[in-house]
This record gives sequence, C-alpha cells and structure tokens, in this order.
Amino acid sequence: MKTQKKLRANTSGQLIIVAALVIAILISSTTIYVYELTMQNNSDTSSSFTNFVLALKQSTKNAMISSLANISNGGEEAVLEANLNELSQFLRRLNSFGIYQLTFTLLNDVNYDSGVWLSWNLSDEGVSSAYANFTLQVYGASENVTLNYAVNVTTAATINGVYTLAGDEKQVNLTCNVYNEGQPALARNIALFYNNSGSWTQIDASNNLSIMDYGNGTYSISFAVTTALDNVQISAHVTDFRSIFVQANTTCSEA
Amino acid sequence: MKGENRGQIRIIEAFLAAMVIFAGFAVSSNLTMPQSVKKSGDLSNVGLQALMVLDSDGSLDAYISDANWSGLRDALSAFLPIGVCFNLTVYDAQMQQLNDVAISNGGFSSQRIAFTEYVCASRNPVFRCYVVHLRMAVAT
Repeated sequence: MKTQKKLRANTSGQLIIVAALVIAILISSTTIYVYELTMQNNSDTSSSFTNFVLALKQSTKNAMISSLANISNGGEEAVLEANLNELSQFLRRLNSFGIYQLTFTLLNDVNYDSGVWLSWNLSDEGVSSAYANFTLQVYGASENVTLNYAVNVTTAATINGVYTLAGDEKQVNLTCNVYNEGQPALARNIALFYNNSGSWTQIDASNNLSIMDYGNGTYSISFAVTTALDNVQISAHVTDFRSIFVQANTTCSEA
Repeated sequence: MKGENRGQIRIIEAFLAAMVIFAGFAVSSNLTMPQSVKKSGDLSNVGLQALMVLDSDGSLDAYISDANWSGLRDALSAFLPIGVCFNLTVYDAQMQQLNDVAISNGGFSSQRIAFTEYVCASRNPVFRCYVVHLRMAVAT
C-alpha cells in the first residue's frame, strides 16, 4: 500500500512530461496543418487569378471579333483600334486582383494594314482577318504580372466548282468551305451571285438553288444559270456565326 | 511538506489537462475556419469558369444584348453545380445596372458568399463592354 502511494507520487512528474509532449505534438501538427491550408489557399487565389486573366484574354478576342465583324460589313478600319482602346480604358476601372493595364500593337505587314486584312479578290479564296499583339500588365497587391499574347481572328472561305451544260442552261456544282482560325466552321448565311454579262445577279430559288450543309464547314451547292459567257463567274458572300463577312470568287469552267 | 507538494502536482496536472482540452478546441476551430475560406474560393472559381464557358461562344453577350435575363439565369443554372444559389448583376460601361429584374435562383441561406467579377466584351459589330457581378453561396 505504501509502495503504491509512493509510485503514484513519483509518476506525477512523468505525467507532466507526457502532457507537455502531447501539447508540443499538438502545436507542431496544428502549425503544419495550418501552413498546408495556407498554401492551398494561395494556390486557389493563384487559380482564380489565372482564370481571371484567361477571361480578360477572352474579352480581347471578343473585341477583335466585334471589330472584324464591323469592318468586314463595311465599317472603317479605325474601328479596331477604337474598340481596343475602349476595352483598355474599361479594364483600368477593374479592381479584382489588382490594377490592369492593357496595351496593344496592331499588325502591319504585307497583308495586314492596321491589324486588318481583307482579301476578297483572290481566286477561289477569301480572307477576313484581324491581328494584334497584346501586353497585359497586372499590378497586384502581392505581385506584378506581365502577360504578352497575340490574338488572331480569321474567317476564310474557299469555293471551287464546275458546270455542265443542260440545254440552254449551265448546271453549276460548287463546294464551299468555311474556316475560323484555320478550323472548319459553320456559316450563318451564304449568298451567291453570278456574272450575267457584266452585272452580278443573285442566285435564288428561281435558279433551283440547293445548298447541302454537311455540318462540318463544307457546303455543296448546285444551281442552274443562263449566261452567254463560256465560263461562269461566281461570287460567294459568306457570313459566319460571328457575323464576320467574307467574299470568295471563282470561275467555273465546263466539266 | 510531502502532502503539500502532492497537492501542487495535482494542480499542475489539472492545469495541463485543461490546457490539452483547450488546445483541442483551438485546433478544431482553426481547422474548420480555413476550410470554409477555401470552399468560398473554390466557389468563386466555379462561378468564373461558368461565366467563361458562357462567354466563349458569345452566349453571355447575346443574353445581355437581348436583355434575356431569364435565359441568362437558366443558362447559368445549367453550368453551376446543383445546390449553389446565385445572384447576378449586369452593369454597363458607366456602371449603371442593366438588369431590371433579379437574375437569381433563390435567396441565400448561407453567410459565406463568394463573389466573382467578370468583364464581358461584346462580339456584336457594335462594340460594348459589360461588367458582371456574380454572388454565390452553397444552399444549406
């Protein structure tokens, strides 16, 4: 009995050490856990920031699409610079993640003039394109980020075909392909014209116009026209689903 | 003297036990708080991605340009996870609110609300910029 009491008294000190050890483990494990959580939160913030920057890139592309749709439908080429300036001013008012400064340079080369290239006179092919280089600077609370990227918006159409004689009429069979940024794309509208002894005449139902949409940017077109010319000159006016207009011309000879 | 010492040791042991219990409370409260913050951050990201998907094909701009607020609400409901309540507000370049009706799928019952700001640039030939404010909460 006496020995038991003595043992209990002696183990009191050991209990303190064990308790201190438990507390130490708790503190250290908590510290590690909180640190890991903080790291995860930082990666979340980084992910949100990355997505926000991607959204801003999407906005610049939309602005380019809007501008090209305007210009290709008869608007002035200065619209592109004006719209991008407006977007740049707009972004300065934002305050998510930091302060934004968007600068841009419109491409000028053999094809592009002030970032715009409209090539509608080439044989069998038409191109409407806009190109600009962007620099997005983000001045954040913790870091500054500079992002350089280019945006190219291009709608292209190719057209080619032949005709066969059917009495006095010429039965024309065409294949038209539409592309957005080099990838097959759908057309919202295709209007066709033929050169009728010097004047361009729209082809409609009276010409037995038939357009087969394969759903992959390829259109098979057939119609009948009466013209004194040996070759049938065709002009296709294509508008894609982004409202960008492009014109492609071809000359069909007899098959 | 021995009896007095034994009493002090008991007090220290009791104090330590109390500390261990207190530490347990402190740890548990610390563990729950950052997780809530993380969920809120995740929700903002989900909202931002939903708006990006809607904007990628020009749908977001089309809904706003046509003032099709019910269509925008339905589209956003389709892209957000089930059980997420949202309230969307659309502003023009002068930060004037455009939507005259609430674009929402219900009231918020949670106190933790995630917020996402999104810039929507129009694809129409007539260029416009919009700011979209999306507030979300997980329905409880």
